[in-house]
Parts: sequence; structure tokens; C-alpha cells
Amino acid sequence: MRNIQKIIKDGARKAVARDDVKYVLGWTPGYGFRVSPFFARTAEDTERLIFSPLCANNLTIYLTLQEKLPLPKAAALDKRKIALFVKGCDSRAVIQLIAERGISRDELVILGVPCGGVIDISKLEAKFPQAIKVEAVEEGEKLSLKVDGKSQEIPKEDILLKKCSLCEYPNPLIYDVLLGEEKQKKTKDYQGISTFEEKSPNEKWTYWGDKFARCIRCYACRNICPLCYCDSCILDKLSPQWIRRSVNLSENTVFQLLRTFHLTGRCIGCGECERACPMGIPVGELNRKLEKDVRELFAYEPGIDIEEKSLLSQFKPEDSEDFIL
Amino acid sequence: MENPYIPYLAVITDIRDETVGERAIKTFRIAFQESSVSKNFTYQPGQCAMLGILGKGESMISINSLANDDYLQFSVMKMGKVTSGLHECEVGDAATVRGPYGNGFPVDDWKGKDIILIGGGIGQAPLRPVINYVLNRRKQYGKLTLIYGARAVSDLCFRKELLELKKLKHLNVHLSIDKKEDGWKEFVGFVPDNLLKVHPSPKNAIAVTCGPPIMIKFVIANLLKLGFSDEQIFTTIENRMKCGIGKCGRCNVDNLYACKDGPVFSYAILKNLLNWSSG
Amino acid sequence: MTAFSLPRNEADDFLVALIEKQSLFAPVEKDSIISYQLVANPGDALWNFSNSTVPPKGILFPQTETLFKFTGSEVSGGIELPPQEKETVIFGIRPCDGRAFKIVDHIFGWDYQDPYYLERRARTVLVGLSCYEPASNCFCTSLNGGPSSKEGLDMLLTDLGDRYYLEVLTDKGGKLLNKNRKLFALALDSDTKEKNSLSKKVESKLKRKVMSCDELQKKMGDLKEHKFWEETSLRCLGCGICTYLCPTCHCFDMQDEVTDGKGRRVRMWDSCMFREYTLHASGENPRPTRVERFKNRLYHKYKYYPDSFKITACVGCGRCTRYCPANLDLIDILTEIGKI
Repeated sequence: MRNIQKIIKDGARKAVARDDVKYVLGWTPGYGFRVSPFFARTAEDTERLIFSPLCANNLTIYLTLQEKLPLPKAAALDKRKIALFVKGCDSRAVIQLIAERGISRDELVILGVPCGGVIDISKLEAKFPQAIKVEAVEEGEKLSLKVDGKSQEIPKEDILLKKCSLCEYPNPLIYDVLLGEEKQKKTKDYQGISTFEEKSPNEKWTYWGDKFARCIRCYACRNICPLCYCDSCILDKLSPQWIRRSVNLSENTVFQLLRTFHLTGRCIGCGECERACPMGIPVGELNRKLEKDVRELFAYEPGIDIEEKSLLSQFKPEDSEDFIL
Repeated sequence: MENPYIPYLAVITDIRDETVGERAIKTFRIAFQESSVSKNFTYQPGQCAMLGILGKGESMISINSLANDDYLQFSVMKMGKVTSGLHECEVGDAATVRGPYGNGFPVDDWKGKDIILIGGGIGQAPLRPVINYVLNRRKQYGKLTLIYGARAVSDLCFRKELLELKKLKHLNVHLSIDKKEDGWKEFVGFVPDNLLKVHPSPKNAIAVTCGPPIMIKFVIANLLKLGFSDEQIFTTIENRMKCGIGKCGRCNVDNLYACKDGPVFSYAILKNLLNWSSG
Repeated sequence: MTAFSLPRNEADDFLVALIEKQSLFAPVEKDSIISYQLVANPGDALWNFSNSTVPPKGILFPQTETLFKFTGSEVSGGIELPPQEKETVIFGIRPCDGRAFKIVDHIFGWDYQDPYYLERRARTVLVGLSCYEPASNCFCTSLNGGPSSKEGLDMLLTDLGDRYYLEVLTDKGGKLLNKNRKLFALALDSDTKEKNSLSKKVESKLKRKVMSCDELQKKMGDLKEHKFWEETSLRCLGCGICTYLCPTCHCFDMQDEVTDGKGRRVRMWDSCMFREYTLHASGENPRPTRVERFKNRLYHKYKYYPDSFKITACVGCGRCTRYCPANLDLIDILTEIGKI
């Protein structure tokens, strides 16, 4: 097997060399376990790119994040493509974005990387609080770590993000180039969700009320979501004001439920919302619940096919109506 | 401890339509509920106040009356939640006022100088008290020139007053509209161009410009062309504001707060600031 | 300055005494999130932790607070301060967060006095707890702070193993001590020595550093236009984490809320990283992209604030770096600025 780091850098260098590519969006290592999104504009820049189980960020968000300001007089629109690395789940965000006409396929050069799961770095930081320079290499079911010169192996299952331990789509579903070897799929199960569904309404409220109460409304879950890309978000509107800015259980609950419902049949389960939350609110569980419902009721899965219509814009006479109270 | 967040209660005593349309302008006269407040509420031309409606919020609005006038007056363009709320008000409705805030124009430093006022649209509002202040002390100032324009005749703010001002001998009024209209005998074109046409001399003069950011940008460029120095040019900055007292943070232009350190800035100060949107 | 000593096995008695006579806020852990909460049992308070997820600033500057109430067109009820008739004590403040109060005091106290913050500040005693295990992104020593920095605090406790070393730093702290004097013994010279050497030891654990505040302030003055800003801020997601979890960020919004004819004017934390923060009703935005917003945040902390108040608005707690979901590393960014 060729070294994945070399494969990644080669792929990026080739992409960045293209005249029709503006930059390559990838990952670069930072201090300790941190890996940050990186915009590589030159061949030299691509030397800084890596791929490892520490590359958590779904880079798809950067396709819609850039503010579109009016161009200065006589300036031409930069029509060059954006090249970006996508893991399996990230690729589904790209597909969904294209399917929703949020971006067009020909604006992109997609560099697919099969992914064996991403690490919850807070777990590693707890183990190695003073780590400065880290290298992480995936070796089957183990993560081989080199922390400030010392090597160590850790079973991946102990430190994977929750969404990764149930990943059905480790391999990108859309790409121009596939870099690296395909990975084994896992079976998705909704066991946690099903167990929770059995609880009484009171128990559910106690659980979620406790979590929502500590939401600080930093909107990181919204801002990091590759599918929250409305120009003007309902949360920010003043007239009419749908959600008050006061931070309390009532408003926080409305916010969290609205955020989730706006992603019904659209969330592709990259889990970035949950990873971003500084307050440890398991917001991904809400998305997983709706994902489960959408699958069971409509046999629908978003982010698989760029030609697929969105769930809420199609109606079939045989659609389930069980959810209507 | 005094609480600067508690507003004075007031009543709207008069409402006049200045312009109509989507971004209509209305002029409001406000009377405080308590006479002790009216007595103590003094201010300089160019100062602002937080005009509000309980339940809607507050907006920082330039006071366009003079402290010794027997009324307190604001002109408000319908724009956001609060200003739209004000436009729905009727005479007798309640309003709130906090202030006065900001620095105002250094009108007393300008004594003995020619004053050139260049305004566009609602930008006439902060200039109005300067005109009246100078007119009340006519002999203490040199030439007074007003260059004012709007998109169309119907968008000219204080139209009636402007026509009265035009009749005065010791004041030169140069009006403009952006596009030609029947019966319009004055300049047709943008305010910065009218400024070049009027061609005021920078000698012992002060130029003050208020209006949309894009207009201010070109007016300043043209003033510099005419030989005005940075120190002779003044403008106002109207950023989004909430507290009005230099705490909430949003109106900052570098380390200065538009609400407290402004809204009036000389171009000499402004041109070195990073966060000035018209810069 | 007199110092005292509190045996470890009597530490809980101190908290019990605090709970009896005052409202006590202390660091509490729930679902791995550490924040300062009103505590009723001494056992709930954390003594061993690196630093809290959420800084204690919200106790004096709540995320949401009522400025006044109104009914119809009448202001009623006046100021509504939080239900604290008793004096408040915040226990277990890390020295960096203690310094943050000193920094924020400037903005709430200059020119117009902010009665909500200042009155709360006046009746709150800040009890610090020296840092013994800095986190990987701590860099307080670069910001004139340190693991046992005293600024902003009324008292400082330092863990010496079998006992706590207590320094009384203000009159307010002295009064609190006198109320509980019987719990404390006078510290010995050897205690003071031990405390000082411990502080040095902890300080040496801090691995990350940036240039001095003065250098930063000067450097940023020279760096207004540079492509560095765009490259860096392109990675920013524009969320509010770095500002909301920052112990010195103090910007707020004010909104009116009316329910069934009864209204209140509320202020709530706001973030300069949000587009709407500076967006005019007209659609004009003086800071239209993340580049201007990101830049403004850093300039505010390291240039504008020291220009106005002679103190940098950062304490080096590292929370913005620790919690940034795009892993934007402030310390790297400041280091980078130094290299340009």
C-alpha cells in the first residue's frame, strides 16, 4: 500500500496545478491533536496537507460559506472550480448540496478519500493533555499514534466519534478522483434511538430539557452544518421574530427543534453539529431520530444521488400518513 | 447609581410626511412627559438620541431641532423594526427617548469660517440644526452654503423649509436631483458632481457632509480635489447601535465608538481608521 | 499582606459557611461540561479541574438579563436585578478568569456607568483558586497573567496538598475572611515559600507563548492590510463560540419582548462574529465578510482595547482555541502575526 500522505499530496498537487482550479480545500495539522481546514493555492501549499483519522472537519461547508459581495466595477467573476477532499459522509453533503441546487457539480473537483472513521480528539486530549506534535496513522482497527516522539497504539473503537462507529458510507459516493483504498462498510443501527423512543414523554423531556437548558446559542451547530446555507436564516430575523434571542429553555428548545426539522430528509449525518457543540449537547441524536423516521416512513435517504428530488418536494399517494396526529 | 438604560417617557405631538414610498421619511415632534426632563434636555447640533417605542426597541436618530427651540424633533426613514414602528404611530402615541448622545458638531470652533454643508437624502437631518444654529448667529460665521440633493423631487427632505431657505439672501442653497424631472430648474445629477459645479473655496472654510456612505465617499474625494484639507472636512457615521453609551460594542470604528465618540468625525481622524465602511 | 492556611479536611467547612451566609457559585461538572452554578452542597463544587468550559463572567454579566419591564407604554418595575439579596461569592475562579473581570470593569465603568454589572460586581466576592494543571492551550503568562495571578480577585487559594494557602487581596476579601476567621490559621513563612515555588513550577508547565502585549499592540497597528487576514479568516465558520466562551468578550444586544401585553427590555450576549451584529437595517454592513469581522475581533482584543484602556482584552485562557470547531488556533495566529 502506498503511503496515504503521499497519495493525498500528489492528488492535491495535480488539482492545484489545473488552470481551472482556484484552490484545494484540505486538512493541515496544527498544535497537538488539532487538524484544521486549509486552503492550498500552490504546489508548495499542498505539502502541508494530510489525511488521517484526525481530519474531522467536513470541508463541504466552505463551498457555501464565502460571502458573495458585489464585484468591483470591471472585475470579472472568478469562475474557477474549487477542489476539495471529501470523506464518505462529506461526499453525501456534496451530493445533497448539488441535488438542492446549492452548488453546481461543474464548480467542483472532488477528491474522494475513503475513511475508516474520525477520532474524538477530546478523548485523546484527555489521555495526552500536553501533546505538542502528533502523528496519527490508521492501521486497521487500531490507531497508531506518535505523540512527541513516543509511539503508542490505541484501539479505534475506544476513541472514534459515535457517528463513525456506525458508518455505512466510509467511501465517497461522488468524486473525480479516488485517493486511497476503499474501506469496509459498517452496519447502521438505530438501537440507541429505538431505546430512547420507548421512554415516556416525561423522561424524554427531562433528558432533553436538561441538555437544551445549557445551550448558549452560539449557533456553531448551524454554522458548521454543510446544509444550513440559507442567505438569511430564520434565527436572525427580527420582523417577524420567530425565535427570541433570550437564552432560556423555551427559546433554546424552539431553536434546537427548528434546526433539526429544517434538516429533515436533508441531514446526511456527518455529525459536525454535534462535534462543534462546546456544551456537549448531543444534537446529532435529534438528527438521527429524524433520519430513522424518514427511512422507515418513506424509505428515503438524502445525499445518495444528485438527481434525487428532496423528500419534502415529492409526494407519493402511498406515502405513510402514520405520523399525522 | 443612575441607570442610563431607562428611557424618558414621551409623547408624539406632531408628525409630518417628508417623503413617501418604501423608504419614506417622517418628521416627529416629541414632548417629554415630565417637564423637568424637558428643561434639562439640552444638546448640540449633530447630537443624537435613542428614539424608541416600548415593545419595538430603540434607534439612534439625529436630533434636528435646536436646544432652544420649543420642540424636540427627529426625522426618521422607515427602514427596520423600530423605524417602521414609528411610521405607524399617530399623534398622541407614546415614545421613549434616551440621550442626548454623541459629540455633535464643533460649531463654536467654526465661528468666523465659511460653512459648506453637503447633504443627500435623509442626510439633511443632521445638517438642519447646523443651518439653524448658524442662521441664529449669522454675523459670527462667514458664508453659508448648502448643497443638497435626493434621487427625485419627491425624495427631497424638508422640501418646504428648503424653499424658504432659498429665499434667504445670506445663505446659498444649491439643490439637485439624480434624474431629470419636468419643471426642475436646478442641477440634475449626483450631489458630488453638484459640489464640483458649485466649486466652493476651501479658504477659511469647513465642509460638512452627511448622507449615504457611497455619496460621502465621493463628496470627500471631490472636496479633496477642491483643495480642502483633511481637517476641514467633517462627516457623521451612523452604524448599528444598541446601547448608545459605548458598551454594547457594535458601532465601533476601530477603537472609537460611533455612539459616544461620534457620530461626528473629521476626515483627518476617519481616514486612518480601518473599519470605516466608506473608506 | 497577611496570608492564611486552611487544612484540606476543613475546606468543605469553608464552603458550608459560604453557602449559609451568601449565594455561592462554584465550578460544577455535568456531562463533562464545567460551568459555575449556584451550589447548595459543598460536595458539588469542583476543586480539582483544569479550567471551566464556560467562564464565570455570566454571573456578573448574564447571557440574558432584564433591563426593565413595561406595560403598554409605561415603564414599570424598574431594574430587575437577579434574586440575590444575599451577598454573592464566586468560588474557584481561575486566575485568568479573575483577571478578565478586571479587564471588563473598564468597559462597564467608563463614562456612563453600567449599573447592572457594577452593582453586581460590588456585592460579589471573587475567590480565586491557583492553577496547578494548565491546559495545553493556556498562555496566560504572555498576557501578564500567571497560574497564581491575583488581579481582579478578592482572595486567592492555592492548593498545597494537605492545606490551602489563602491570600486576602482586597477589603471585600478581608471581610469575607473575618466572617470565617476561625477556620483559618495564620500561614507560616514556609507556607509562603512553598506556595511561591509551586507557582513557579506550574508556570514552567505552560508550553505555549506569544509576544508581549505591547509588541502585539504595536505590530497590529502596522498590519492593517495584509493578505494574512483573508487566508486566516476564510477558515472561520462565523459562529459565536470564541466570543461566548471568552471571559473578556462583553458585547451585547438589546431587544424588547412582549407577552400578553407585558413587556421587558432584555439584553443578551452578542457576538461580533455574527453578520447581523453590524448589519444596518438598510442592508449596508460595515463589516460585510468574515475577514473584517475576524480582524475586528482580534484588533479589539489586542489593539483597540489597550489603546483605550491600557490593558489587553485577553487573558490567555485558550478557550477560543480549545473550542473552535474549525480548529483555528489563536496562539498560532498571534505567533504568525509576530513573524510577518
